[in-house]
Amino acid sequence: MAEKKLSKKALNKSFRNWYYGNLTCFSQEHMQTFGYLCAMLPLVEELYDTKEEQKEAMNTYTAFFNTEPQVGAVIVGITAGLEEAKANGNDDVDAETINGIRAGLMGPIAGIGDSLVVGTLIPILLGIALGLSTGGSVVGPIFYIIAWNLIVTLGMKFLYTKGYELGGKAVDVLVGERATAIRESIVMLGTMVVGSVASTWVSVTTSFHLVNDAGEEFLNLQKQLDSVYPGCLTAAFVIFCWWLMAKKRVSPVVTMLILVVIAFVGVLVGFFNPGLKY
Amino acid sequence: MTISWLQAAILGIFACLSSMPGMGGTSIGNYTLGRPLVAGLVCGIVLGDIQAGVLVGAAMQVVYIALVTPGGTVSADVRAVSYIGIPLAMLALNSYGLSASSEEGIAMATSFGAMVGTLGTVLFYGTATINLVWQHIGWKAVEKGNFKKLYLVNMGLPWISHILCSFIPALVMCKLGVPVVEAIKTALPMDGLAMKTLFTVGSMLPCVGIAILLKQVVEKAVDFIPFFFGFTLAASMGLNLVSVTVVAGMFAIIYYNIKMIGIRAKEAALASGGSIDDDDDEEEI
Repeated sequence: MAEKKLSKKALNKSFRNWYYGNLTCFSQEHMQTFGYLCAMLPLVEELYDTKEEQKEAMNTYTAFFNTEPQVGAVIVGITAGLEEAKANGNDDVDAETINGIRAGLMGPIAGIGDSLVVGTLIPILLGIALGLSTGGSVVGPIFYIIAWNLIVTLGMKFLYTKGYELGGKAVDVLVGERATAIRESIVMLGTMVVGSVASTWVSVTTSFHLVNDAGEEFLNLQKQLDSVYPGCLTAAFVIFCWWLMAKKRVSPVVTMLILVVIAFVGVLVGFFNPGLKY
Repeated sequence: MTISWLQAAILGIFACLSSMPGMGGTSIGNYTLGRPLVAGLVCGIVLGDIQAGVLVGAAMQVVYIALVTPGGTVSADVRAVSYIGIPLAMLALNSYGLSASSEEGIAMATSFGAMVGTLGTVLFYGTATINLVWQHIGWKAVEKGNFKKLYLVNMGLPWISHILCSFIPALVMCKLGVPVVEAIKTALPMDGLAMKTLFTVGSMLPCVGIAILLKQVVEKAVDFIPFFFGFTLAASMGLNLVSVTVVAGMFAIIYYNIKMIGIRAKEAALASGGSIDDDDDEEEI
């Protein structure tokens, strides 16, 4: 029997199905399971001739799956490589191994993907795009559309292909110490950029000031605070929100409601005043 | 400014494409069309005021700069923020006669967006629940070995969920927008307590977005230092975002190299201890 090799066409189709369909039929119960089934279908159809074999192979991928879909392309690639090995009668690979690797990777990859793609890459690109859209310029959004789609499409394709080539060996690369060092460095870069996004785009200010008998202002709290550390009221609110959510386990929606209360009280006592008129 | 049925319908279609489990896919749908900055451009083109659209979109983008959806839980819905919140905020600004580039305009836009976005989570759970029906059809097809049907289940039928939970809500809300905004305007005068609170909240809301992001990376007080480093570069030293990225990149390289010294030392110790290290060829990946 000749060795089975997945054609470029089937791999491309599998990648496209994942790229587009990873979350189209999302539910809280099965999340990305159906996207995964669609991604594996072209491969399974090519590797196995009989309906029974196809059914058995597809059965592997009916298990629950959820990860960060962009970086998660690497897992789909890995299983493509493993499925090919299995179809060629490699004794080390059976449905259980494949599902073990798949289930073992989806957690770490979700963590990597959420921190690198959603938590770092997107905020940096958006931060730059926000800077470019000053005054309502279309350059900002257009920059983001092009930069993000270029990076993410090429990146996902690269991860998928690498995963396929390496198969099971990719696991060490993904969760090894080197990968952790790279990830930590990038997250640090991202955190710095987010700090500058916070100071550039967020502005919490107080209107609190005291006047003496002659009507001259002798205390302008905002100026005082800024002379201690520019933007410190904004920073204080960011930390307060972080403290509520990270330390007190308050949900984002409740945090927003707490801010509403603070704003209401602040306006009542004259600490906040946006100073608007018709 | 008014919104015609046609304009509202176009916004409705974009709402279908851009949701978190959306019909445009994750990369192009959610992470491109669903970002408020991009949606601002789209709404601006559809409603005929690109500049205002981008300004409103940019203001809302800061609130949702880190819309992470860990494990499929959401705190705000992008389709609602982007294709209901932005058009309504544009109408409101127009009706109040505020400029979208003024501080008041930005505060108003962010309050509107956050309000609609939070309410919009209902739409997210609605879509995901209706999808269960299609998935049920899918499981039957898998059992029978009728695999072709999977494509219909995954990429075709969810459109029905979106017509119900994205298209119709966006269409109705955008179309009703003008009377609603007018009603708010007569009921709540600008210098009243309610409006002052609304605008103050608007200026604070981005803090929540930034804090959600920090929650992922900050575990102990020391982890705040990189954040404040970036904050100081921009607030006290006046660097713009691109410059901050370059400076931060330099620090990231230094950090990486220090980490690698430790890892290599450990590997060298292991190797001299007799264990074989054959992982070198995987380094470049």
